[in-house]
Amino acid sequence: MSTVDTKRRVLPRWSPKLGVGLGLIAVVVLVGLVGPLLVGDPSAVRDIGLTGPGAEHWLGTTQTGQDVVAQLAYATRGSLQIGVLVGVLATVLSAIFGIVGSYAGGLVDEAFSLFSNVMLVIPGLPLVIVIAGFVPAAQRGSWTIAIVLAITGWAASARVLRAQTLSLRNRDYVAAARVAGEKTWRVITVEILPNLLPLLASQFVFAVILAILSEAGLSFLGLGASNSSTLGTMLYYAQNGFALQREAWWWFVPPGLVIALFGCGLSLVNFSIDEIINPKLRDVPRRPGKVAETVAATPAERGEDDAVLTVDGLSVVYQGKNPVLAVKNVSLTLRRGEILGLAGESGCGKTTLAYAVNRLHRPPAEVTSGAVTFHDRDGADVDVLGLGVEELRAFRWSKLSMVFQGAMNALSPVTPVAAQLDDVLVTHRPEMTRDQRRQRCREVFELVGVDPQRLGSYPHELSGGMRQRVMIAMALLLDPQVMIMDEPTTALDVVVQRGILLEILKFRDELGFAVIFITHDLPLLLEIADRIAVMRDGEVVEQGTAEELHLNPRHPYTRELLDSFPSLTGDRGGFVRGTPALHDGGVR
Amino acid sequence: MRYYVRKLAFYLVALWAALTLNFAIPRLMPGNPVDILLAKLQQRGGSIDPAARRSFELLLGAGGDEPIVSQYFAYLGNIVRGDLGVSVSAFPAPVSEVIASALPWTVVLVGIATLLSFVLGIALGALVGWKRGTWLDSLVPATTVLAAVPYFWLALILVAVFASALGWFPLTGGYDVVLTPAWDAEFLSSAIYHGTLPALTIVVSSVGGWLLGMRNMMVSAMSEDYVLTAQAKGLRDSRIMVRYATRNAVLPSVAGFAISLGFVVSGSIITEQVFSYPGIGSKLLQAVQNNDYALMQGIFLVITVAVLGANLVVDLLYALIDPRTRVSG
Repeated sequence: MSTVDTKRRVLPRWSPKLGVGLGLIAVVVLVGLVGPLLVGDPSAVRDIGLTGPGAEHWLGTTQTGQDVVAQLAYATRGSLQIGVLVGVLATVLSAIFGIVGSYAGGLVDEAFSLFSNVMLVIPGLPLVIVIAGFVPAAQRGSWTIAIVLAITGWAASARVLRAQTLSLRNRDYVAAARVAGEKTWRVITVEILPNLLPLLASQFVFAVILAILSEAGLSFLGLGASNSSTLGTMLYYAQNGFALQREAWWWFVPPGLVIALFGCGLSLVNFSIDEIINPKLRDVPRRPGKVAETVAATPAERGEDDAVLTVDGLSVVYQGKNPVLAVKNVSLTLRRGEILGLAGESGCGKTTLAYAVNRLHRPPAEVTSGAVTFHDRDGADVDVLGLGVEELRAFRWSKLSMVFQGAMNALSPVTPVAAQLDDVLVTHRPEMTRDQRRQRCREVFELVGVDPQRLGSYPHELSGGMRQRVMIAMALLLDPQVMIMDEPTTALDVVVQRGILLEILKFRDELGFAVIFITHDLPLLLEIADRIAVMRDGEVVEQGTAEELHLNPRHPYTRELLDSFPSLTGDRGGFVRGTPALHDGGVR
Repeated sequence: MRYYVRKLAFYLVALWAALTLNFAIPRLMPGNPVDILLAKLQQRGGSIDPAARRSFELLLGAGGDEPIVSQYFAYLGNIVRGDLGVSVSAFPAPVSEVIASALPWTVVLVGIATLLSFVLGIALGALVGWKRGTWLDSLVPATTVLAAVPYFWLALILVAVFASALGWFPLTGGYDVVLTPAWDAEFLSSAIYHGTLPALTIVVSSVGGWLLGMRNMMVSAMSEDYVLTAQAKGLRDSRIMVRYATRNAVLPSVAGFAISLGFVVSGSIITEQVFSYPGIGSKLLQAVQNNDYALMQGIFLVITVAVLGANLVVDLLYALIDPRTRVSG
């Protein structure tokens, strides 16, 4: 990992939230730092008693005539001091138990982790109250309170840090440093700590909020440090001075408000730090309007009698400061019952194209021009990009289904696969009874060679090959006319891959749907596809039958792709079509 | 099965740690709590029978020569028998009786409030995450403010507005003092009436945490492949939101329940104090103010056991909603 990369991720991006957060923090810190220099003596007693806000005392006075503004300034300082002190102590403790333990591994990790978890489930404040109760008031100084709060407040962030360190520890660059024989402390400080900085910062901020809140609670109960005045102490005196009953809002509202605003400021800053840690949380642009509004082209005529899907001049742009044209003016025709191969390296736009055909692309991706037309069996032409929300929903899966890359994540991990198949039928075929739906699910399972007993299984109970078969079974449920397969077999081993490919060919022959087969593996396409389109940088550079491409590739890039892959069997063309015996021997 | 055994073992260790902590704290602290207690008892005219003295000594540390190990085991024996000593502030009632009378109030109040805020926070968080990019996003900073508000201060404000100024709710207490506690409609409705503001305090202060956590997980879940697949399947949005995104996003919230429960319990203790609610939190503070160490210790133990129990139940529920825990352990 380069240091430049690390630095870039440590600084949060500027956002209004961050601005407001920093502003709130700055104001409160200023009150705490500078305030005490400007105001008078907070404990000076005047004989005016409880007075409301006025020109002399902006926030009025307490029942003994003490100026609330002066008290507030000193109390803010006190609360900030204890908050930062506890924040530092708790973060150091959590770093020791979270980072060092998980890095050391083995028994140390087990012990540290058990200790953190036990500390986590033992409720903190009752423990603090009990400890404070045993220490006589005269001996309860700021440090005592700070240490007690730190001891009871570090466990949650130790757990978070441990999880992150464990994942960092197994990354390649850390493993490399360890193998190279770097000293442990060096690996931790140079390789691991910089990557944990955002998380440490967020945990520190969190610890400060927690400390200020806990200290305020403790002081409010009269159990705080005897030698300090904090916002909690102010509220304690307000409560005991019957501020509430005497409706002296100027006495009890401001201290809590300062805590709330400061905590809110810290949380807002934490949002920005969270967005560094988890990029998914970054603000997304507002939802785009209907695709039809941005697309001018009209649906294509049914050019050839047997076409089932026509893509005409489709362009997809990733919007942003520097818009990226991911798919450039692509035109394709898919004929009924054929397998159209879409080949290209990763990042060439083939997946973007496939998603855009079914309008599954997400912001910031946007279709800027072109048309996608589906030519239904019954003769109707459907302008896919112009469909309304509900029409599009009904179109998906019943006319055009998809098999995604990496079936591990395409199935929800916490639901039995039967329910995920059943969902499709419940939504698209509401007239089917429960028994009919179950029957249909069994049928498609048998079709793809998975034991229907497996319907009750959860995805993690199935092997990778079986999961992909389940995905194919799901795609077959509604008898679609087009199936888009995005690298359906890439993650599988060769034997399983072959079994699945054979079955796809078989279904195509038996059920007569057309397939758009996306892969980076051009030699594979030569064996199974009828026609092939080669994509590069969002453009289709060459289109033709598999034979044409094989024997006479025109574009230099096609030749390059052809040469870059060894065939799976070393014998091009003999892989799938040449071994009919494997039809029965497909892997289960 | 392995998952359950591990969880059970963990909570036993935690329970043991809490008992040991409870044993160690008074012995590590300055001063001699037993003498203070006995002096207090005498002031109140209580007679010190040897059994009571012994039970105090085991709880708080004896001045004698008894080895610490044998003290420890005798202490554990006393706890197992439910002997937590005699309360000084409520003399001659045993600590266990004082706790038993206060515990139901807190369990019901905190239990219902926590459940409400959990359900509310999860539902709102799921919705805000799902509708990301709409006006609902503005709920996020709003809940941040709520989450940063100290429980007891919110309680003060609620009392000032709804009890003091508007007079809609009673200022303090758990029920109308002219009534005697009983399972009749009059008493129950009075208890509910008195419990509304404290419960509202807990719900309002804690709902933001659930909401934020759930919203963030929802945003992460929405970019998962299974949500994309569900969209490709042509399912209705409501079904995708509930059965795919929320179903998966809720798991970390449930797994992180232990952390949040600690906050809620801590907040509730102070909230009870503001409302003079007859629960365990007020009793704990009374005990601290009166140097009633035995009661203090007993309440700490009971709160800890209750929190451990609640966490154990949630962990067992987690196994039900995440099938993966059942195999991998």
